[in-house]
Formats: sequence, C-alpha cells, structure tokens
Amino acid sequence: MIRVAGLSARVGNFRLRDVSFEVPSGEYGVVIGPVGSGKTTLLETIAGIIRPHAGSVMLDGRDVTGAPPERRRLGIVYQHSYLFPHLSVADNVAYAAAEPAFAVRIAERVGARPLYDRPVGALSGGERQLVALARAFAVRPSVLLLDEPFSALDPRTRTQARRAVRALHRELGITVLQVSHDFTEAGLLGDVAVLLDQGSVLQSGPPDALFRQPATPYVAEFLGAENVLAGTVRALGTGWPDGAEEQGAKKALARAHRPLEFRVGPLTIYTVGDASEGDMHAVIRAEEIVLSREPSPTSARNHFGGTIREIATTGALTLVTVDIGGIALVASLTTRSAEELALARGVRVYASFKAMAVHLC
Amino acid sequence: MAAQRTASVVAALLGSLFLLFLVAPIGRLVVGGGKAGVAELFTDTELRSSLWLTAVTATLAMVAGALGGTPLAYLLARRPFRGKAVVAAVLDLPLLIPHPVAGIALLLILGRQSAVGRALLHAGIQVAGSPIGIICAMVFVSAPLYISAAREAFARVDPRYESVARTLGDPAWRAFRRVTLPLAARGLIAAAVVMWARAVSEFGAIVILTYNPKVASVLSYDRFTGFGLTEALPVAAVLSILALIPLIALRALRPDRGAGLDV
Repeated sequence: MIRVAGLSARVGNFRLRDVSFEVPSGEYGVVIGPVGSGKTTLLETIAGIIRPHAGSVMLDGRDVTGAPPERRRLGIVYQHSYLFPHLSVADNVAYAAAEPAFAVRIAERVGARPLYDRPVGALSGGERQLVALARAFAVRPSVLLLDEPFSALDPRTRTQARRAVRALHRELGITVLQVSHDFTEAGLLGDVAVLLDQGSVLQSGPPDALFRQPATPYVAEFLGAENVLAGTVRALGTGWPDGAEEQGAKKALARAHRPLEFRVGPLTIYTVGDASEGDMHAVIRAEEIVLSREPSPTSARNHFGGTIREIATTGALTLVTVDIGGIALVASLTTRSAEELALARGVRVYASFKAMAVHLC
Repeated sequence: MAAQRTASVVAALLGSLFLLFLVAPIGRLVVGGGKAGVAELFTDTELRSSLWLTAVTATLAMVAGALGGTPLAYLLARRPFRGKAVVAAVLDLPLLIPHPVAGIALLLILGRQSAVGRALLHAGIQVAGSPIGIICAMVFVSAPLYISAAREAFARVDPRYESVARTLGDPAWRAFRRVTLPLAARGLIAAAVVMWARAVSEFGAIVILTYNPKVASVLSYDRFTGFGLTEALPVAAVLSILALIPLIALRALRPDRGAGLDV
C-alpha cells in the first residue's frame, strides 16, 4: 500500500504541494500529468531520495517519511534505466537480488535473459529498460516505482514489457506506482489514477471515474475530452419521485439525478445531476454523440441540427466537427459509419446524445 | 572564403609559434643534458636519492591529498550546504598565492617556533627540514588541483545511479563504494596523476620549509647556484624526461574515453 498525505517538497524552484492519494496494497497506480508537473519528483519523494518538508509517506502500513531509501523496501525504474555501466547485464540484474536463481527467473520473465552476455554499453534503450525492470523486480520489493519505463520501447516490446510487469505485479503482490504522460496507459494498467499538475493533485481515483467524471474542465481537456463547453446551469424542478421527500435514501438518490438544463450560446442541453446552478462547464465525450442525416426519434434528450465543419480520419475512427449555431461539437464514429452516411464538409446532420452523457464540472 | 583561409593560416602560424615557445626550452634542455643526465643516474648517488625522495614524498602527498580531498570533492559536487562557495574559494587559494609565500605560511604554522611545530617536535615529529615538511608543502600546493578535478569527476556521474543503488538496498557508503566510486574512478586517477605531477615539480614552498634533504627541484636549483649551468643541466634534463611519465599516464586516462556515463 502507498499512502501519501499532505506531501510537500521542494527541488530548486519547483514545489510539490500538499499531495495526498492512496494506492491500496497490491494495486497498480498510475500518476499522469503534463511535462514538468512533478511526477518524477513525487516518485523520488516517495522513494526517500528527496526529503519532504511536510506530510507523510506510508508504505505497507509503515511510516517511512524519515527513513532512507534503502530501508523502504522499494524499487525504482527511471525512464533512462540507469544501468550500472561498470557491471555486466547479469551483475546488474543480480545487484541486490536475495536469490541469484530468482534474479535469473525474473530476467527470463521480462525478456532480459538473452541479454546477459552483452555489455551494458551495447544495449539499445529498450533493452536497457528491460534489464532495469528485471533488476528492480529481482529484489522482491513491496513497492515498485516506475518512471515512464515503457517510453523507450518499440510498440511490440512495450506490449510485452507491460504484460510482464502486470503479471509479475499480480504474482508477487507488489504495489506499483507508475508515472506516465499517457492517459491510455493509465486506463490499460491502472487501478488508481492520480492526475498531477504544477506539483498538485488535481484528481485521483479509478481511471474510468477520471475519464467519465473529470473534476475540472482542465482535467477533462488533459484527458482528451473533445467537447468542453462553458455555460450556465439551471435546475428544472426537484425531480424527486412522489413521496421521496420523506425517505432519506431515495431523496439523496433523487438529488443526484435532478433534471438540469445547461445553456451555451443558442444551445440548451438537458442533463441530470447534483450540480448547483450557475456558471459551469459541460463535458461530453465525442464517442457519446450519435450523428444522423435525418432527425430521428430516440430516447436521447438532446438533438441538434448543424452543419459539418471538419472531418478528420485516423484509421478506423473519424472525428466529425459539427457547427451548431456557432458552437462546435465533435463526434467520434467509425470511418465506415462516416462513409455510409456520406458525411462531408457542409453536409447537414443531426447530433444526438443522452442527458446522462453530459458531465458538469 | 579567402578571408577564412587567411584567418586559418594566421591561427596556424600563431599556434605553431606558441608551441615552439613551449617546446623549444625543454627540447634544448633534453638535447643539451639528457645523455649526461641519464649517465649521471648511474654515478650520481645524490641525484638518485633526490629523485627517489621526490617520487616517494610526491606519492605520499598524493595519497594524503586523495584521502583528505576525495570526501571534500564529493561533498562539493553533490551536497548543497551553507558556505559552499566560500569553501570552494578557500580551497583554490593555495593555487593563487606565490609558492614561497605558501612555504612561509606553512613555516609559521609548522615551524619549530610555532605552537603546532613545538608540539609535534615534543611528540618526536619534525616537520620543517624533514621529508614530512616536503610532503606538507606538496599537499598544500597540489591538493587543490586534485580536489578540483575530483569534484568534476564526481559531478560527471549522474546522482541517480547512486539513488538507484540506495533503493536497491545499499546504504549511502556502500552505494558510493559500489557505484559512484567505480564510475568516477578514471577521473579520480587522472586527478591524482595531476596532483602527483604538480607535487614533483614543486619548488617554492619546499625550499622554504625543507631545503635538506633535497628533492629534485631543489637539487637542480642548488647545482645551478652552486656550480653553474653545466652542472645543473643533467639534473634538469632528467627531471624533464621523467615528467613525461605522468603526461603519458594522463593521456591514457582521458575522461572523454568514457567516464561511465549512461548515454
């Protein structure tokens, strides 16, 4: 388990500010954030390489805030591997391994065993990274910290390495915290995602929750939400079922699903939620928007007619930007659907999405 | 294009003149006294013992400088601390003051008239006028060179190697011994060679602190003032030839041949 509470540290002019999150024991956490957000500083503070000036670090229930790195039972793998160049590959893997046979087995699992006879200086960036992973796992750490460990790998090796790391993490029961700038990686690997920016945690939780319910417009945009609209929220009645006023649980449920309208320019978007009235942002994922050439009756509460402004095809997926009264809505659909609908710039289409597809923040 | 060619020719000419200025005196010295000097190595016992004394005291000074200077160089390269700039400046001071002045300063601290000198004499340790005085003078003037080069050698090793070793279970000292020291070794040896060479060539501080027994530089000066140029020439020539040894060693230890950086 990794529990970080109110952690603050300073490196030069950069500050890590009041960082708190938890990765439960045996789970896989991913810290995401833009370049310079403090991801590596956070890992090094957890590892004890950087001393925090406030807050605490708990690893597997032990308070290790003041403990040196060697007493934390953790491993760290940096983006640039940091293999010891004066040692052989085998000696690197076995550097601190409790059992030499275990080190060899780990090297085989991550694909580093065939590299044993080669000098460290002759390894490619990807090969170095495999050896660094083997070296870290060979110690049987209780916590493993990975700083963009797959970034130097080619796509095939990256998939293999990810699979091996995930499997070893499960088998050995190691709690992993990985840094990545790629939210897809967080979705693929992570049980817990932590979004860091300018040294502060913007949001943490299951990757799907971050994806579906970003806490701020910035989080939504960082995670790749195509439609983030600024507007005004107004409640449409209480939305409570009959008699709900007297029943607490039902009332709470109803409050979380009260009908709302969100106005942006000429558009009125219907949604449900517990958002308060006033200025807010609506986040609508592009894949939640359905396009049709004719207005068609569906259960979706939001239907808008507009004109296609732009079409961008990337392989099997096509992003279509529809201009609706000066507001741009981006829809994502398969390229085949786009071809079947004969979508092109200037064509009039209808965009539909459910009230539940709108997230207010 | 023509201007560029002219500039190249002028630069080459100036460079050649400068090189000639550096090489000509030593070349003349070796040509003039080299043969006689090598022959004197077999016949002149004073020259032999002087060279032996120089080599031994310079080696001991180098060992003392490395033992005392390595931790200091590491601290300066790796750890931020209050007054670091002042410490670095103080360490460079012996390089800037005239070496006879350094000798006088050492004499004030370690001479027979000083409290420390008297205490050491009382303990049976004579500094001024003994090989210990030679070693002290050599350390004083050449250790700053070692510390400066060793500091650079440590700075060239990315501290993250040590961090990785620490997370792999090594306490600070073991991580230094197993990782940082081997990675900086080439630079440290080169620094030690520079220090040794500087110690061998030292004259000003030594002549104040310990005229006798004579190291090679003092002997060549003594022969020159006592017997003239002809007598001093073979000794000076042998010293110049022997100076080639650390130079060749330095070339072999060039840090750019791989200081163990992960690139």
